[in-house]
Amino acid sequence: MSEVNLNGVKQNKGVWLVKIPKYLSQQWEKATEKGEVGTITIGKKQGKTEVRFSLSEELTARGATGESDASLQVPRHHPLTMHTVKGQTMAVFSQTESEISLEGMVVHRAECRAVASDNYMKLKKLQIQESIKPQRFSQQLEKAVTHVFKPVANHSFNVAYQKKKKTEGKMVRAERQVVLDMLFSAFEKHHYYNIKDLVEITKQPVTYLKEIIREIGTYNSKGKHKNTWKLKREYRNYESEEEKDEEEMQTV
Amino acid sequence: MTSLGGSSSSTTEYTVRVPKNTSKRYNIMAFNAGDRVNCSTWTQARMERDMSARRIYGDDESAEGAGGSEFGKKQRDEARRRKYGIITKEFKAEDQPWILKVNGKGGKRFKGLRKGGVTENASYYIFTQCPDGAFEAFPVNGWYNFTPQAKHRTLTAEEAEEEWGRRNKVVNHFSIMLQKRFREQERGGDDEDESEKTGKKKKNIGRGGELHITDLEDDLMMSSDNSDSSMGEDADGKSKAKKNVGKGKKKKRKSNDKEAVEESDDGDYEGLEVDYMSDESSSDEEPEKGKPSKTEEHLKGIDEASESEEESEEEKPNEEEAKEEEEEEEGKKTPVQTEKKKKKGKTGLIKQIRTWAKLCVCKKRTPPKRPSGRGSAGSSKTGSRPGTPSIDSATTSNTLRAAASKLEQGKRQNQGPTESPAAKRLKMDPSSQSPAPSGKSTPQPPSGKSTPSSSDVQLTEEAVRRYLIRKPMTTKDLLKKFQTKRTGLSSEQTVNVLAQILKRLNPERKIINDKMHFYLTE
Repeated sequence: MSEVNLNGVKQNKGVWLVKIPKYLSQQWEKATEKGEVGTITIGKKQGKTEVRFSLSEELTARGATGESDASLQVPRHHPLTMHTVKGQTMAVFSQTESEISLEGMVVHRAECRAVASDNYMKLKKLQIQESIKPQRFSQQLEKAVTHVFKPVANHSFNVAYQKKKKTEGKMVRAERQVVLDMLFSAFEKHHYYNIKDLVEITKQPVTYLKEIIREIGTYNSKGKHKNTWKLKREYRNYESEEEKDEEEMQTV
Repeated sequence: MTSLGGSSSSTTEYTVRVPKNTSKRYNIMAFNAGDRVNCSTWTQARMERDMSARRIYGDDESAEGAGGSEFGKKQRDEARRRKYGIITKEFKAEDQPWILKVNGKGGKRFKGLRKGGVTENASYYIFTQCPDGAFEAFPVNGWYNFTPQAKHRTLTAEEAEEEWGRRNKVVNHFSIMLQKRFREQERGGDDEDESEKTGKKKKNIGRGGELHITDLEDDLMMSSDNSDSSMGEDADGKSKAKKNVGKGKKKKRKSNDKEAVEESDDGDYEGLEVDYMSDESSSDEEPEKGKPSKTEEHLKGIDEASESEEESEEEKPNEEEAKEEEEEEEGKKTPVQTEKKKKKGKTGLIKQIRTWAKLCVCKKRTPPKRPSGRGSAGSSKTGSRPGTPSIDSATTSNTLRAAASKLEQGKRQNQGPTESPAAKRLKMDPSSQSPAPSGKSTPQPPSGKSTPSSSDVQLTEEAVRRYLIRKPMTTKDLLKKFQTKRTGLSSEQTVNVLAQILKRLNPERKIINDKMHFYLTE
């Protein structure tokens, strides 16, 4: 999404940037599909331009759905104070998944004010009460919670572990070739392995596994992949770039 | 729309709609008023997110299950991070800054940083008026402050601190950036050979920065991203670069020396300037003088310089062109660019050559020697000889060669002044250099070069005097008399010596056929 569509500014479209209080925008979200939320009245009273916004009737309810609950009514009339944008050049750009376009330039800024009616005061009081509530609060417990650690002959976790060991039994050495195949297939997926991971994969005893891996691989004692095993060069057949880089470095 | 008549006030009503189904997200692009951004002048714009923070934020996405991978690396890293309590913030693409490029490669660049806290307590809406008169309100998703990004080279904090420490000592501030570019170029030394031309461009642009800073130059400066890409962008700079290939190198050398520690007694120079300026040339010279104050340092110790200034003031009309010519000469070792030639004044030219040559000489001086030069201010013809005469002549020779070749061609051309930047640049250059060398080379060349091999014609003061008494001659005529084959001097030396002789003789001038002729009456 790179190229910006400049049609808006080319046509010198002017827009207003209006600041709307949160409660009002919440009401607007309840608007119908058509989207009508109210009207703007621009008038000239004694030489001064007055702009007012009036909320539509059906959106004044602050309840769940359009019931006009008398106690919770959002005020209807809001004067807008207008400002110029001399101090700042602002443009509006919109963004969709595919396109960015410059919609226009801001020519006026406005703030939506509220008239200090009783309704409004009630509304605000509610808002304040809600926001004052702390996120964290103290709660009394009926019963004190205590973690008492009783002495135990053997912890449950330990018991389970020992059982598991018993059922699995010791790891049996498989055929050398079989183990080698397992190792090679593992190294196809990743380049570096920890010995513990290899043990888990192959289910072989450690000493036996170490013997085998010492035959086909080397140990990284330092470098990026610490304490890991990797296959020896002659057994490797990776097609990756990194592999090539490694080889290059080796040869150079 | 309804309108209520019948009262003193008139109102019009518009409905406001909040469209529900738009997939478009609206954002504010705010610029600073001081940047004077006019969106309507944009012909083309590209914008994309700046994702450079992604790698910092981790999730390197280094091959998973591919080359160089470990078994269970991710889990292990995750466990490790949990153990140490490292909490990394996610990389949110939405919050990344925008990069806005306007008008393609040569245009402006802006970076748009998201402003936080905009939608927390109040919501912003964009009201646009529809053709049917109703307003449509769209909620603002985010606010981005766009600031222009500098394309010219800037100093890092460490470098800036360094320069700050030397601020009282370093007089030539333009060379600071020049040095920086030079250093950068050295570091990227592999590219230098292959891009010799581009290297020169770089130097030249640096040189340009040294000589004069215009907006145009700044725009031509390379972007800070990548020197390679910046060279590509520097298309405009190329034309200038070509013109000033040799100059750049020269300037660099000079600047290195200038950069040496010097006392900046600014007050000392003020009186000097006034004397030299004639009415006409002062307006031209003053800006030039103002800029590189380094020239004033050279003025200081060298009486010759002051003398040359006095003389030059007599040749006001020629001085400008002469200076411009001289600048060109220094820059071009090879064929002169005819477009730069202006009205030709031979006498002025010679003076300029001389003064410029002296400047070259002066630069080679080590700082301690300057006070000694100052001491010799009283004597006019017998200045102290600089410690390195051979080097001086060497330095002057290159440019003098250019100067001499110019002399020959100069007469043919009688063009008006070229574009002002070129003119300015050229003016800058001679002014920076002319005063200084003038003081030095006068004492020196006579002694250094006054041993021509046996020849029929010797370039002596006596000879010149004879010619000038006989009839008025232009400098070109004079040069013709003392041909290089006969005098055994190279053309630059000839020019140099001739210039000095003329200065000593101080002949009268007359304009015949639009050419400045010298003559003497005995």
